Amino acid sequence: MGALEIINFYLVPGLVVGSIYALGAVGITLVFAILRYAHLAHGDLATLGAFLGLGLVTALGISPYLALPAVMVLTAVVAVGIDRVFYDYLRERPKIVTVMASLGIALMVRAIVQVVWGVDSQTYTRGIVRPENWFGIRVRDRELITILAMIALVVALQLFLQRSKWGKAMRAMSDNPDLALLSGVDNGKVVTITWVIVGGLCAAAGLFLGLNFELKAMMGWSMLLPMFAAAILGGVGRVEGAVIGGLIVGVAEEMSTLFLPTEYKAATAFAILLLMLLVRPTGLLRGKVL
Amino acid sequence: MKLFQTAIAAALLGATALAAPAHADVKIGLIGGVTGPIAAMAPPMIASAQLAIDQVNANGGILDGQKLIGVVGDSACNPQNGTDAATKAVNIEGVVAIVGPHCSGSVLAVANSVTVPAGIAIITPSGTSPEITSLDDKDTVFRTVPSDDYQGRALARTLLDRGTKKVAVAYLNNDYGKGLAEAFKSEFEANGGEIAGYAAHEGEKASYRSNLAELASGGADTLVILDYGDGSGLTLLRQALENGFFENFVGADGMKSDATFKELGAENLTTFVASSPVGEKSDALEMFSKAFTEAGGDPSAIFVTTSYDAAFLMALAVEKAGGDKTKVAAAMREISNGTGETILPGEWAKAKELIAAGKAIDYKGAAGDHNFDEKGDVPGAYALFKVGANGFEMIGEMK
Repeated sequence: MGALEIINFYLVPGLVVGSIYALGAVGITLVFAILRYAHLAHGDLATLGAFLGLGLVTALGISPYLALPAVMVLTAVVAVGIDRVFYDYLRERPKIVTVMASLGIALMVRAIVQVVWGVDSQTYTRGIVRPENWFGIRVRDRELITILAMIALVVALQLFLQRSKWGKAMRAMSDNPDLALLSGVDNGKVVTITWVIVGGLCAAAGLFLGLNFELKAMMGWSMLLPMFAAAILGGVGRVEGAVIGGLIVGVAEEMSTLFLPTEYKAATAFAILLLMLLVRPTGLLRGKVL
Repeated sequence: MKLFQTAIAAALLGATALAAPAHADVKIGLIGGVTGPIAAMAPPMIASAQLAIDQVNANGGILDGQKLIGVVGDSACNPQNGTDAATKAVNIEGVVAIVGPHCSGSVLAVANSVTVPAGIAIITPSGTSPEITSLDDKDTVFRTVPSDDYQGRALARTLLDRGTKKVAVAYLNNDYGKGLAEAFKSEFEANGGEIAGYAAHEGEKASYRSNLAELASGGADTLVILDYGDGSGLTLLRQALENGFFENFVGADGMKSDATFKELGAENLTTFVASSPVGEKSDALEMFSKAFTEAGGDPSAIFVTTSYDAAFLMALAVEKAGGDKTKVAAAMREISNGTGETILPGEWAKAKELIAAGKAIDYKGAAGDHNFDEKGDVPGAYALFKVGANGFEMIGEMK
């Protein structure tokens, strides 16, 4: 098997899926770091984002790329709303209660998607798109855009966290919420900003997943495990770690078929997750230990 | 006074308890893959089962003129949800029998953990795995759809007849995909075909390009996809087409889903064929087609004939068993064993009279005669379909 084949059929799909995992994992890692619980509704929030995109694309006849900003805002509003109505109420309780509540939210969000958009597989645009040939490397436009958009979103997020006042407040709360509160950081506002960012990233992950593959009611849920694996692999609380983790999990899944029977592909993310928790629980970039 | 009230209350309660069985509706479960990978196929299947129930109610009802009610449950095409739905139907709704579930994995799980222990008869219109044949079911599990053992073998022979000697096989790693793939492989190889790639895959992954690259490395130009056309089968087909891994694509009944041409476009699917069980031309099929068309359904949709037959057979069996759920399974054998007066789809009033008179009846359904063998299976007829301008078009019968 030639190098080009490895790149075309294993590396490129791995990077595309990895970029989508990365977008999800960044959100998971932010919730882990700032709010300190595993958010199990993450995948289904991404599904909601993807289907909101479908709603806009079919209603207005615009391209999915144009729908992206609007979908990110809409999903962010939904995420903040879910936090206000459900998670906020449970904030003082043990975190496991919120984790279980988020599982319930996941089922609710999925049920709403199924009621509104039905349960059939759908696509933004009908038909198939054959890849372009760039010096032997076969990439579809949308795959290139997925990878570039992921990088742009993550760079913007990093700048926000490093440079802006609220970004610093988020990092302070991630380090020590009580100390941050005493220093005058409004925890409530930080939580809201976190959900805005997480909701937006979820929507982007869902939209790109739908754009590259198909829209299905279960699409986000089946992405949840690889996303968690990516967040933990990169180090909890580390945005750049989540990106690296996402890409590694994506590429590892695709590459695994070279060595393992293909039915074990889905288990790759799980194996990575277990291995990291055993060998290096802080993750590649020294995140928090849960 | 208190005592008087209590006595009245007790009397009323007693009266309802006594009155209830005489007027209560008779419930049967309709458990199907409403959500999940066969979601596109399930609504017409449930609609055709409902047609059978409506016909029963319009022609005198069941038992002593009671109404037959189909309680719909969602098996989501997986064992866990199937078990949940069946448990609810049996324990909470109190159904006397179940039509369904739709997917093989659900059928196996539901039979093993719910209906066989409870002694409830089930009849699946679309659970096609060969595993169901060997189930230790105390004779309570039936199906109106032939086992995939037949379909896999028929598909293998048809491909060889059409001149395809070398294929790669991608199958979904569940009871349906595995059973079909094994039957296909053994028949294809036994008749001189070459399997140049044979791999299972998990459902619901985003990318199957590496799986396809592995399969394509064997050098075959035909890919046999044994999966669901509304689930990962669609993703596989799309990625194989987009990247040009294979030229020809072959699917079984699971791939004969409208989602394939709705999402990928019929113009891209000129080299795609799918097999599916079909009803042999008969008066019964025409009677069903007419009734189902009038009810607003599409009689050529997949598994609608088997779903209708399953529901109608179940209604006949419940009638024959006098509503006793422990006798439904035995009654199922008596109403369709090839002897007695022929009953065609929709002939409920006639069947009811004959059963009341104690005469033997033999149901001949839209999908076939349904003379169950000792395992509760039926033989089947298959046809090969291609995608035309208006959906799937039959291109020939399969032997």
